Amino acid sequence: MPTLAPPEPLLEKHAAKITPQEGLDQPCWIVDRSVLREVCEDLKTNPETRFDLLLECFGMDYPEREPRFEAVYHLYSIPHGKRLRLKVPLPENDPTVPSLLPVWKAADWFEREMWDHFGFRAEGHPDLRRILCHEAFQGHPLRKDYDPARRWICTEKDIYKPKLEPPPQQDDMFERMTINIGPSHPAMHGTFRLTAVLDGEVIVASDIEIGYLHRCFDKMSETHTWNQVIPYTDRLNYCSAFINNVGYCRVVEKMLGVEAPPKAVWARTILSEFSRIMDHCVCNGTTLVDTGGITNFWYMFQPREEIYGLLEACFGGRLTVSGCRIGGLLADLPPDFMARSRRLLEIIPAFVDDMEKLVDHNRIWLDRSVGIAAISGDDAVNWGWTGPCLRASGVAYDVRKAFPYDLYDTVDWEVPVFYGGDVHDRYRVRMAEIRQSLRIIEQLLDRGIPEGPFIVDDPHVALPPKDKAYNQMEAMIYHFKLIMDGVQVPAGERYGMVEGGNGELGFYCVSDGSAKPYRVRVRPPCFPIFSTFNQLILGHTVSDAVISLGGLNVIAGELER
Amino acid sequence: MSEPIPGEPTLSAAAQPPQAGAQPVPEHPRAPKPYKYTWADRLYLPLLQGLVVTARHFFKNLVKSKYTISYPEERRPYSGRYRGHHILTTRPDGSVRCVACFLCATNCPAECIHIEAAEQPDVNIEKYPVVYEIDMLRCVFCGYCVDACPEEAIIMSRNTDMAYFTREQSIVGKAQLMKPFTVDVERLGYRPYYPEEDRQRAQMRREAFDLVSAARGDA
Amino acid sequence: MTGESWLTTTFDRLEEWAQTRSFWPLPFGTACCAIEFMGVVSSHYDVARFGYEVVRFSPRQSDVLIVAGTITDKMGPVLKKIYDQMPDPKWVISMGACACSGGFYRAYHVMQGIDEIIPVDVYVPGCPPSPEGLIYGILQLKERVMREKGKHGGAKEKQTAAEEEHAHSGAA
Repeated sequence: MPTLAPPEPLLEKHAAKITPQEGLDQPCWIVDRSVLREVCEDLKTNPETRFDLLLECFGMDYPEREPRFEAVYHLYSIPHGKRLRLKVPLPENDPTVPSLLPVWKAADWFEREMWDHFGFRAEGHPDLRRILCHEAFQGHPLRKDYDPARRWICTEKDIYKPKLEPPPQQDDMFERMTINIGPSHPAMHGTFRLTAVLDGEVIVASDIEIGYLHRCFDKMSETHTWNQVIPYTDRLNYCSAFINNVGYCRVVEKMLGVEAPPKAVWARTILSEFSRIMDHCVCNGTTLVDTGGITNFWYMFQPREEIYGLLEACFGGRLTVSGCRIGGLLADLPPDFMARSRRLLEIIPAFVDDMEKLVDHNRIWLDRSVGIAAISGDDAVNWGWTGPCLRASGVAYDVRKAFPYDLYDTVDWEVPVFYGGDVHDRYRVRMAEIRQSLRIIEQLLDRGIPEGPFIVDDPHVALPPKDKAYNQMEAMIYHFKLIMDGVQVPAGERYGMVEGGNGELGFYCVSDGSAKPYRVRVRPPCFPIFSTFNQLILGHTVSDAVISLGGLNVIAGELER
Repeated sequence: MSEPIPGEPTLSAAAQPPQAGAQPVPEHPRAPKPYKYTWADRLYLPLLQGLVVTARHFFKNLVKSKYTISYPEERRPYSGRYRGHHILTTRPDGSVRCVACFLCATNCPAECIHIEAAEQPDVNIEKYPVVYEIDMLRCVFCGYCVDACPEEAIIMSRNTDMAYFTREQSIVGKAQLMKPFTVDVERLGYRPYYPEEDRQRAQMRREAFDLVSAARGDA
Repeated sequence: MTGESWLTTTFDRLEEWAQTRSFWPLPFGTACCAIEFMGVVSSHYDVARFGYEVVRFSPRQSDVLIVAGTITDKMGPVLKKIYDQMPDPKWVISMGACACSGGFYRAYHVMQGIDEIIPVDVYVPGCPPSPEGLIYGILQLKERVMREKGKHGGAKEKQTAAEEEHAHSGAA
């Protein structure tokens, strides 16, 4: 198990307060909260470590032990490719933790979420209030003593009233207007509320409110068995649902110590790439709709329908596939899998070509998107960005290349990177990624379907095949036990990541040895990306704000889980 | 991409052959460098290419669209694994195959299956469901009930034409679930798959059981 | 003129004919069902063949509120306000398991069905319903409206006087 010893200068100063924890899947330090800020600043600036990306921070609740709570931080160093987990134990009567906002701006919304779900007060955070649950909510729902079904009624008078602080006005001739865009608004993709102070058309102050689709994924995964969580993961990033399934199943398989058979791995890679193509098609199509170019929406939805045909032939569901099971796939591949996939490889490039001819050099689109909502690579990393939006700012971090999984390191493909950091380059990155995904799929299809089973042959993990379950007593008993008791995952914790449609999609699973997960935490890639939105649109017009939102590809299911 | 944009790096410098472990990410430029317009872009000339594309689509689909499915006259051909409306399968004598083992109700993530068991006089069958209800408005059509069933008693069809006017109507009971059962494979959807030869063995097992129960004169 | 006569019944039939062939939907799309709704209005299923393609995101200009996706407790007041702002006649289609009943989210922030706050005319189950299922639901609504001849405001029960008073306060 990898360990990363704290660098000498840090250890000398705070020897007793940083304890490396051994035996985990990635280096982990238990850090006392009094030195947390200093340790993090050092980790970020020290050239040996350079942890410039704060992936996430979240809370854990262990009611049986003292101290009860724990704040967990996942750090990543892009230059060195190293990961680190920091755990900060917090006592029950005083769960405060120093805010890491001065170090990484990504901490902004994550710390608000820790307050919302656990009640950890981040000292020094300028605006610590609820982010996902509504204003009339009482209690902290992810604590273990909170009843999952206890709801609170939110009425109209409880709706949050944003406090906006626009810069002082230069002249008194024009009046500033505060408008509310959303949450039920086509440009807001249904569930975001933007309140903006406008000086003419230009936004001088804004506040974004989310949480209108908070569906309590974390709590639901604590009340269901390991396999039953898979349909919930579908509905996270619902535009590319299969990738979420793969990410979750991979982590649980690693915890169990089983490996999915080659056929399942091959199919998972191909179908993940198809899902990525679907996701990017929708994102680009809807961004163009927001500018008024509705034609691309029709053109981009056709590849999506065609890919639905393949997913539905394999797994029975179009959009919410639940195609993976722990240990492999839900069923064997259909006999016409190769024929359908090859046909898709012919159809999809035609539509993508059409869209490129319409949009790529279209001056109307260029005028509206070049230079809009631009962010530099450094700022993007500080804000916690990953995925296509980060690659549009020049940073070539892709989980499939940095930490290759499945078959990504056995095929020949490239990571597209652009350097503008604006809406246009985010669009171009996605189109280039569609091309690269098609390239990956073609190479994998040329290898042919691997022989063998589609799911692991361990009766404690995967349901036995139906012919055996109907006819043999032993298989019937295993079937019964697996359904009634569930998969028993050994106690431990693990963080695993895949490259989702929006960036690094991480799952942090903690098991206490029973059939239900103790905690399944999703690292949502678009959460830190969207937290930057207020900064991105300052000084732009309302129509620019609408396009920027489209270009960021914020999927509410994943943002608010 | 249609053609490379002159003077702009299009692919990352990290396009090296894959190495084991972490691939180093090259240093990124500090300030954004946006796209530079070409002279053709400035003159709006590529819009003509776009007009050609839309005109092509328009004329190709003018008489009949090659993409649109005219529901309800035409239907999209779903595969034999589609997860649609549930079906409770029956034995040749018309009774449900379900033995009320509650595996489907346990495996369902939405807890939408409600079963009440009663004793069945035949000692080989033992139990049957006197009440079997699925709350269609809770069901997420995940197919976990089909995965769990040890008797192939619940399967799914390709039918998705469901709409209800009241909450009471949406709780479908045993009779409604048994009605669509057919041996017409074209209408069946998600159900357990296994190789053809084992299907024959399972079929023989079922036929033998039915013969035995017929010989005993069970209803 | 009071009471039924051939003129008013013909006029009612004409009105009902026009209404049922031009439901203008307001897609209150929040989650995955919204993507399937986008599939319905796209070229593959094309709800424009029935006359329902004029999707208006403003409640003042639409007839049918299609609630597609999970409605959380935070979104509840927003949904009620949008519903109240729609002028009569209006109908509500609840699309998908989450909007009909909360689906498999028996959770602390999810409304267990939109009929907690607004009356629903047609429930379309599925997660998400296939586009054919949604079109079937819309056609069922059309049948229902045609059956309930002459009743403005759709086939739902009339609101009580108190609710009617409150409904207009949101629109002010």
